[in-house]
Amino acid sequence: MNNRQARMFAIASTGISVLVFLILTLDSHRQFDTLTNAENITPEVTHGKDVWHKYNCINCHTLFGEGAYYAPDLTKITQHRGEAYLQAYMRDPAKFYDENKHRRLMPKQNLSEKEISDLIQFLDWVSKVDNQGWPPRPILVTGSFIPGADSVAAVAAGSADNPAGIRPVTDDDDPRAQGEHVFRSAIPACNACHSTAPGANMAGPTLAGLVTRAEAVLASGDYTGKATDVEGYIRESVIAPSAHLVPGDMYSANGTSFMPVGYEDSLTPEQLDHLIAYLATLK
Amino acid sequence: MQYRSQSVAYWYFAVAMVLFGLQLVFGLLSASKYLGPDPLLYILPFDVTKVIHTNLLIVWVLTGFMGATYWMIPDESRTELHSTRLAYIQLFLWVIMGVTAIIGYLFRYGTGNKLLEQPLPHKIIIVICMLIFLYNIGMTIKKSGRFTTTEGVLMLGLVSSAVLFFPALLHYENYTVSIFYRWWTIHLWVEGVWMMIMGAFLAYLLIRLSGADREVMEKWLYVIVGLVFIAGILGTAHHYYWVGVPTYWLPIGGFFSALEPAALVAMAIYAYTAIRRSGLAHPNKLALHWTVGSAVFTLFGAGLLGLAHTWPSVNKWTHGTLITAMHGHAAFYGAYAMIVLAMITYALPSLTRHRPEGGSSIGYWAFWLQITGMFGMTLSFATAGIGQVYLERIMGMGYLDTQLKIQVHFLMLIATASIFTVGVALFIYDFFRFAPRFIFEDEPQLEAGVTRSTP
Ligand code: HEC
Ligand code: HEC
Ligand code: HEM
Ligand SMILES: [Fe+2]
Repeated sequence: MNNRQARMFAIASTGISVLVFLILTLDSHRQFDTLTNAENITPEVTHGKDVWHKYNCINCHTLFGEGAYYAPDLTKITQHRGEAYLQAYMRDPAKFYDENKHRRLMPKQNLSEKEISDLIQFLDWVSKVDNQGWPPRPILVTGSFIPGADSVAAVAAGSADNPAGIRPVTDDDDPRAQGEHVFRSAIPACNACHSTAPGANMAGPTLAGLVTRAEAVLASGDYTGKATDVEGYIRESVIAPSAHLVPGDMYSANGTSFMPVGYEDSLTPEQLDHLIAYLATLK
Repeated sequence: MQYRSQSVAYWYFAVAMVLFGLQLVFGLLSASKYLGPDPLLYILPFDVTKVIHTNLLIVWVLTGFMGATYWMIPDESRTELHSTRLAYIQLFLWVIMGVTAIIGYLFRYGTGNKLLEQPLPHKIIIVICMLIFLYNIGMTIKKSGRFTTTEGVLMLGLVSSAVLFFPALLHYENYTVSIFYRWWTIHLWVEGVWMMIMGAFLAYLLIRLSGADREVMEKWLYVIVGLVFIAGILGTAHHYYWVGVPTYWLPIGGFFSALEPAALVAMAIYAYTAIRRSGLAHPNKLALHWTVGSAVFTLFGAGLLGLAHTWPSVNKWTHGTLITAMHGHAAFYGAYAMIVLAMITYALPSLTRHRPEGGSSIGYWAFWLQITGMFGMTLSFATAGIGQVYLERIMGMGYLDTQLKIQVHFLMLIATASIFTVGVALFIYDFFRFAPRFIFEDEPQLEAGVTRSTP
């Protein structure tokens, strides 16, 4: 190879690569709107995006896995946390996390209420972008090696291929085993907020000893819901979280639970039955 | 120094040194926040220290590129610079831009877009500086009538860097689209056109430090250019996997970015054979250490550690973890920090008075401490990152709990970063230890390399 041929090689390979890259870019533009649900980019979502930029969230967090690694990824956060929770959290993170325990805390961002709600709309739009099913397994903010959060079974509902290591459940399995699967695959996943280990409270209280606690609550005079037995109590806790509240500033505000509503619609009646059968084992 | 106007390079290098030192202060601050708790949570939170850390990096490396270019072009074209005045005006504007941007970041005044945080007025000044720079260099070459291949590759890198900055000036309504174009700037810079800049400096240094034949060196430089672009351009897709773009980018990104190390292997062989075949022709052995070190460390940080997580089925698990920080540090340092330090080390004996041509023992300590420190930092990020991937991504442990479990790696990070910082402090001390030559003296030929450069 002489000098001239080497130059031709450099020019030709660059030229071809640029051309292919530009063609694919054009084709991507054709698809962006569908993949990102562009019709849902409302003025609120756009404003929420500006808020995201204005407060430099990207230099602590990642979104779509891009940003900084000091704080959790937020791509699917609205699938793990309800709106009420996120609003309260954004107002004052210190109410929810203890810097001495985790050695890290998100500083209070002093957002206006409008900024907070638009930001949540933006994050919700992000969570619905078709991004090849990433992350392959939900990324949780807290949780630890405990029954319920440790197992390799968490999988986003609806994603067709189960990641490696997962044990899929079938209709022949015990209803409680199927319920445990629902516990991890419901959207938002229950195990994003609840552990099943004694004392391990996360964004929601631990569900260890749920049955015993439910019996005690039903027997005491403080119960505010409509249930008459333990199973009814659990069902109510899932489909109408605010009917009776577990006390604590980090769990609810103004009588509204931070636990998301809507499981009654997003889960099928069988899934709900299985889930409750599973929860009723947590004595 | 053969041409009086080359002395502008000194001031560019001096600014780069100061900013490099500052970058590390903010880096160490950020690392200590990983350990936590953070007493400065409301004064200087992590997002502020991190944005200053990364921006200082970009600014000092670019300052170094400009200084090194102002040094190299007169040598290659055998002429004085078109205008030293313009070069100083450019430096002045550039410093004002940098300093005000950093002060702004302290108050969170920025665009909040990773690595492109500079506010619009600052971006416009950046463009103006680039234009002054390119004009000045272009006119110098034009007037001299001598345009070498090495210069050609350097100019290609510099002009394309300016062109690729334009997508960063635009506003995008759709977050996914804005990510798409952000990488046109960031990826195509570091894995495309900056490689041209690095390759040109490498060729320049090798031709001068070893006795390698220019004809041969420049032929292989073309081959490297071809390899970089074949793989690097479509390799952009390794940043497109999970951000909401069509699926075909996955195999494309995997395939082409896996080819990227080929160019880096070629560069390392290039440096090695030049020295092996032609031997040393220049007393500045320290500059040679930096030059070869840069090629080798790039192969390690960019080639090997980039390859480690570039395949989609791996990246799916490592994306957005400390694994990225591992690779980013080693790659950026090896390819761009080290090549600038190589150019500085090469030019310094003639830019300052009484400096030993072969480098001092302080200079060697600076080299080895930096190499050791950066290698240790890379290992710390790697072990932390592997822990994070397993615990958080695969086992499903919560983010905050995982970070607690990998604390020991953050301790290791701070320890090795301190070693690195000592190395950099020595380099900076060594830089400023000898006064610059303000007045050009009619000295006899200082550099053997200059006289022997063949056309
Ligand atoms: C200084 C770094 C920092 C900045 C800046 C920051 N965060 Fe955080 N964020 C954290 C940390 C650390 C956590 C983990 C929980 C905690 O310690 O509060 C967190 C957690 C979160 C959570 C998850 C809470 C949960 O329990 O699910 C959300 C949502 C969030 N941040 C949103 C934001 C938004 C939106 C912004 C920008 C307005 C932002 N953060 C800016 C550090 C930061
Ligand atoms: C965003 C976080 C979040 C998610 C997701 C979530 N919860 Fe909750 N959950 C809470 C909070 C906060 C409370 C306490 C406040 C209350 O009583 O509603 C709670 C309370 C409960 C209780 C009552 C506990 C008791 O001791 O009385 C049960 C049972 C429960 N959740 C089950 C579930 C199940 C099942 C799912 C999944 C289908 C789920 N949760 C999803 C946050 C969450
Ligand atoms: C000198 C050359 C290189 C430099 C300076 C460099 C630098 C960087 C930096 C700073 C990042 C982080 C960017 C961000 O998150 O915003 C990054 C990401 C990445 N780099 Fe490189 N890189 C180089 C070469 C390579 C090569 C050759 C490969 C592949 C073989 C590679 C693969 C990757 C991948 C896959 C990511 C994305 C990681 C993720 O977010 O999942 N890099 N690089
Ligand atoms: Fe890249």
